Amino acid sequence: MIRALVVDDEIHAREELNALLAETGEFAVIGTCANAVEAIQAINREKPDVVFLDIQMPVINGFELLSMIDEKIMPLIVFVTAYDEYALKAFDENALDYLLKPVDKERIVKTVRKLKTMLNEGGRPVYAGPDIRKIPCITTAGIKLINVSDVEYVRSNEAGVYIVCAKGEYFTDLTLKVLENRANLIRSHKQFLVNIDRVDEILFHDHMAADIKMKSGKTVPVSRRYLKLLREKLNF
Amino acid sequence: MAVFLVIAYLFSKTPWFKPLTTESLRFRDKLYIYFFFSTISILGTYLGFPIHDAIANTRAIGPVLAGLVFGPVLGTATGLTGGLHRYFLGGFTAFSCGLSTTVEGTIGGLVHVYLVRKNKSRMIFDPKVAFVTTFFAEIVQMIIILLASRPLTDAVALVKVIAIPMILTSATGAALFLSIIRDQKNIYDRVAAVSSARAFKIAERTLNILSRGISRETAGDLAKIIREETGVGAVAITDKENVLAFEGEGSDHHIPGDPIASPLTKEAISENKVIFVDGVQDPYECPISDRCPLNSVLVVPLQIDQDVIGTIKLYEPKNRFFLNINKSLGEGIANLLSNQLLLARYEDQKNLLMTAELKLIQAQVNPHFLFNSLNTIISVIRSDSAKARDLLVNLANFFRKNLKRGGELTTLEDELDHVNSYLTIEKARFDDRLTVEMDIDPSLLKLQIPTFTLQPLIENAIKHGISNMLGPGKAKISAYRKGDSAVIEVEDNAGTYSQKKTADGLGINIVDKRIKNIFGRRYGTAVSCIPNEVTRVTVEVPAGGSGT
Repeated sequence: MIRALVVDDEIHAREELNALLAETGEFAVIGTCANAVEAIQAINREKPDVVFLDIQMPVINGFELLSMIDEKIMPLIVFVTAYDEYALKAFDENALDYLLKPVDKERIVKTVRKLKTMLNEGGRPVYAGPDIRKIPCITTAGIKLINVSDVEYVRSNEAGVYIVCAKGEYFTDLTLKVLENRANLIRSHKQFLVNIDRVDEILFHDHMAADIKMKSGKTVPVSRRYLKLLREKLNF
Repeated sequence: MAVFLVIAYLFSKTPWFKPLTTESLRFRDKLYIYFFFSTISILGTYLGFPIHDAIANTRAIGPVLAGLVFGPVLGTATGLTGGLHRYFLGGFTAFSCGLSTTVEGTIGGLVHVYLVRKNKSRMIFDPKVAFVTTFFAEIVQMIIILLASRPLTDAVALVKVIAIPMILTSATGAALFLSIIRDQKNIYDRVAAVSSARAFKIAERTLNILSRGISRETAGDLAKIIREETGVGAVAITDKENVLAFEGEGSDHHIPGDPIASPLTKEAISENKVIFVDGVQDPYECPISDRCPLNSVLVVPLQIDQDVIGTIKLYEPKNRFFLNINKSLGEGIANLLSNQLLLARYEDQKNLLMTAELKLIQAQVNPHFLFNSLNTIISVIRSDSAKARDLLVNLANFFRKNLKRGGELTTLEDELDHVNSYLTIEKARFDDRLTVEMDIDPSLLKLQIPTFTLQPLIENAIKHGISNMLGPGKAKISAYRKGDSAVIEVEDNAGTYSQKKTADGLGINIVDKRIKNIFGRRYGTAVSCIPNEVTRVTVEVPAGGSGT
């Protein structure tokens, strides 16, 4: 059975695709999501083989979602769209396949064949998504989008990843790796990323370690391992 | 003195006088004026009579008036000429008189400058001003004679004799001379005003007719108006092949609908030029009937963007001259009509463009909506076939209305029906993410609004607003009265409207343009947006005719 996740903001579209996938007898649908934020959580948690992904969704669209998934767990992607204006673009993203809504039952058979071939070959697909400009964060009230330019630094611990801004800090489902690769944040420590534009000064200590003083006055540790890289990036 | 006034009067009746009445003078005109007033000045010297080895005269009139009416340069130049002439005639006042004439021209010029600066240039043509100026200038002359002529005793004796008659005669002469110039100028102005008024009246009366383009019907009305306003014997309008209209004498054999018979008209069309047959040296010969009363004709091509599309013809019968004023008026009318036709064509194209834009938008919107709707219905069939049937009926109604709306105007009720079909499907698609509230004043249901006024606004609110929200979306449609207007509001709680986003801006712009086109600039749309809270599009149309 292929472990599949269905992501679409319209409930009837999700239900219909669920039903179609079930009819093939090839899929175990491990979840359905109504937006990209739910999808990131579900993918990180369930690590599905394939995601059936709608493109036009609120706040974060299907393409932007791809940039927010860690390469190590990147599932195969099948775009599902109502109108083929995105179809070519979908192929640019090396999507495995795309389906047009309403989805033809016979057409899914072809998709299943492709999926099986890919899964047998193993390896993770690489999707060149756009850079992340807004980071989705979870708040008690709902979802907040933080502009990357407003981020001071990012820290992680056992509880998860936190985006730290001048005004406060917010929990996000994105991993440090994703943020480092796609949001142009610089690694200073195993558990820290900094926004170079927000750096005030770098304070050196013994043992080749240092602290970064941010413009807001907060400090971020720099480990020996990353100091060298940081020097190269900043040219000092 | 009397000789002078006769000269002035006769002169004012000749075409030579015309430059004096125009506001802006070319160099040639100035030269001409200079010669004219210099001659007047010299004539003044000759027409004077000798006293005590000097000449009592009206030499001053020319320079003072030249200065007063045309400024210091012409005044001084004229004065210098008159003065030099006097100087070479000799006598013991030769120098003083020559000098004083020049000074008098300058004085006239200074008064001109003063009046223009004070924004009183109308007073230049006031005979009283001419009288006072000349009066003063002549006193200055007397003083100069006393100062510059030797022996002084002779000068005093001379001034005693000539001062009073010369001052009074010159001043009165200048005043009378100017009043003749002024009267003639007024006559010219009035003629110009009358023909402008006629041209304006024709423009006003033809504007509405021409906005419908040129056809047999509109050409008939046009010809009638032009004949009434110009009073010519007959007026014809043709397109490139046929006579469209004929009004006036000779209409028994000049029949609208017939092909163009006159070689003159054919020439005017093929050469794109004005043709005039004055009927004196060169009589117009009617190609249709030899009993035709018409004798002279003006043929002016009508054109749009340099393409000749027809002609306008003005005729006079044998017993009347073709007036020059009608000739220029005729050419003017043809120009005017050409411009109006261009405007009408421009309006047509604008409307076409707007309709095309509108259709394009409808076409752009539909595929996405259509396929998502079908997808929704396919899904609903599995769980609730009755609801699926209902959705399909609404989808059918929506597309039928989209396709069958040729007309400009519809009722609010009809728009709401269209919108309701659309909303029923969207609510099914977005499920609990979309709620719609309606608050419509029932007395406005018969309100006349352009087709596709409400639908694009609702579609914007959902497509660019609510469908981008993670939380629950609310749309509200309200219609109420405000004074003589009806106001329709569409709002959503997404608050994502931005002018930069061309997609929703375009839809609203077209709605706005169409409303302004139909109801006038007072009406139209307005958008207000509080980011992330609300976008409200307000449509204002006249409430009249909706029934109360």
